[in-house]
Amino acid sequence: MRGLLVAVLLATAVACSGSDTNDLTVFAASSLTDVLPDLATEYENETGATITTVFGGSNHLAAQLRDGAPADAFLTADARLLEQVGTRDRPVNFASNRLVVAVPAGNPAGVSSLADLARDDLRVVICAETVPCGAATSGMNSTINADSQEISVRAVLSRLSLGEADVGIVYATDVASEPEVQPAWQQPEACPCVTYTAGARTYRALPFLAFLTSPVAQGILTRHGFATGEPD
Amino acid sequence: MRAPRPILAVATVAVIFISLPVVGLLQRTPWSSLDELLSRDSVIQPLLLSLLVSVIAVLVVVVIGTPLAWTMARVDMPGRRIVRALVLLPMVLPPVVGGTALLFALGRRGLIGQWLDQWFGLTLPFTTLGAVVTAVFVALPFYVIAVEGALESGTDDLEQMAGTLGAEPMRVLRRITLPRLLPAMGAGMALAWARALGEFGATITFAGNLPGRTQTLPLATFLALESDTEEAMALSLVMLIVSLAVLIPMRDRWMPVRRREQ
Repeated sequence: MRGLLVAVLLATAVACSGSDTNDLTVFAASSLTDVLPDLATEYENETGATITTVFGGSNHLAAQLRDGAPADAFLTADARLLEQVGTRDRPVNFASNRLVVAVPAGNPAGVSSLADLARDDLRVVICAETVPCGAATSGMNSTINADSQEISVRAVLSRLSLGEADVGIVYATDVASEPEVQPAWQQPEACPCVTYTAGARTYRALPFLAFLTSPVAQGILTRHGFATGEPD
Repeated sequence: MRAPRPILAVATVAVIFISLPVVGLLQRTPWSSLDELLSRDSVIQPLLLSLLVSVIAVLVVVVIGTPLAWTMARVDMPGRRIVRALVLLPMVLPPVVGGTALLFALGRRGLIGQWLDQWFGLTLPFTTLGAVVTAVFVALPFYVIAVEGALESGTDDLEQMAGTLGAEPMRVLRRITLPRLLPAMGAGMALAWARALGEFGATITFAGNLPGRTQTLPLATFLALESDTEEAMALSLVMLIVSLAVLIPMRDRWMPVRRREQ
């Protein structure tokens, strides 16, 4: 019995201390769900590092960081959160995204303008104001008669792809990644926008932050529909 | 009876373990601003909605769960073990999976949901009714397992006697079975209600999140944690008080506590 206990404790100790300097844990906003694995693979190939990714609502991840969750880097669409949780060195802006009014493929409800977001008879789903996409949505200053305020942009996207919602507001990259969802109408590539910022929590994450703004990484981001460089 | 020391010691550790998070919650509660926090609409509205949803859910659970428990305990049918496993499944299923499954079945494009929508114009997601359906789904097994257990352990002697004396089956059920079942039903209701009140994952997945319509206490707490920690603490405290207010009296009145005479 005692032997078993010692063994368990030892195994735990080894598991906790065994993190190689090359192993990074990256917390990232859920809208980066599709692109970050590609970025991580590229970085792993270049450096031999191993990256573990954790996705979630930005605020939720920030709360975990404040409570001591072990992450080396935090990628979010809300730079203020990085100030709150604290970073090593200066945070880096590496991409931007814009909001799109989106509908299920085929636009079954015939949504055609911002005015439709105020309609009572449509099921309108947006992000809760506590997450960055929701904050950007309320920045649109449109009248929105929402039926649900989801806790992440991916949740809004799944409402649309499942056809539960008639119309929703998501990021351009989400529409690009989900064949069951399309823009409600041709929308100009203009803001409201969010800028993604990466902050290092440990010094060993700094090379990864530098990588995010490298031409290779920026190419991957562009391929996934993100805007790179400074937003207009 | 005096408990052996080691047993008492372990029991004490268990109690401390289970109450530590509550203590943690209480010491973080912003007592000085509590008055103001508790009078906020953003606290009262989810509380009322949660009470409404969980109480209706428990009523539905009793109405459909009692015959189900009786059938499972008393009727010799083929595939009983499969039915049993199916009924208990929501206890084990991660709530988010349960919510997604509900969407596939009762969502607007779901198996049954598309017909509900076409024939009756009834869509469950994004409605309070949808939140109730979710609560029934997750809470039903807790009630059924409590009542079924009591039906199985109770001897049939009285029922058989009443039957031989010429009482109709429904009369036996009403006069003999049900009264003896009340304690188990009470316990099952308490468990089911507690489960319904605390439901988060399935609710947000199936019913969505809108203040006043589908935003129950757990949802409001989760969102407040991200924006206003003090409000989240106040919401948690409300949840704690409501739960204890129901569970403490329930224990004495309904739970079949067996005390050995001194």
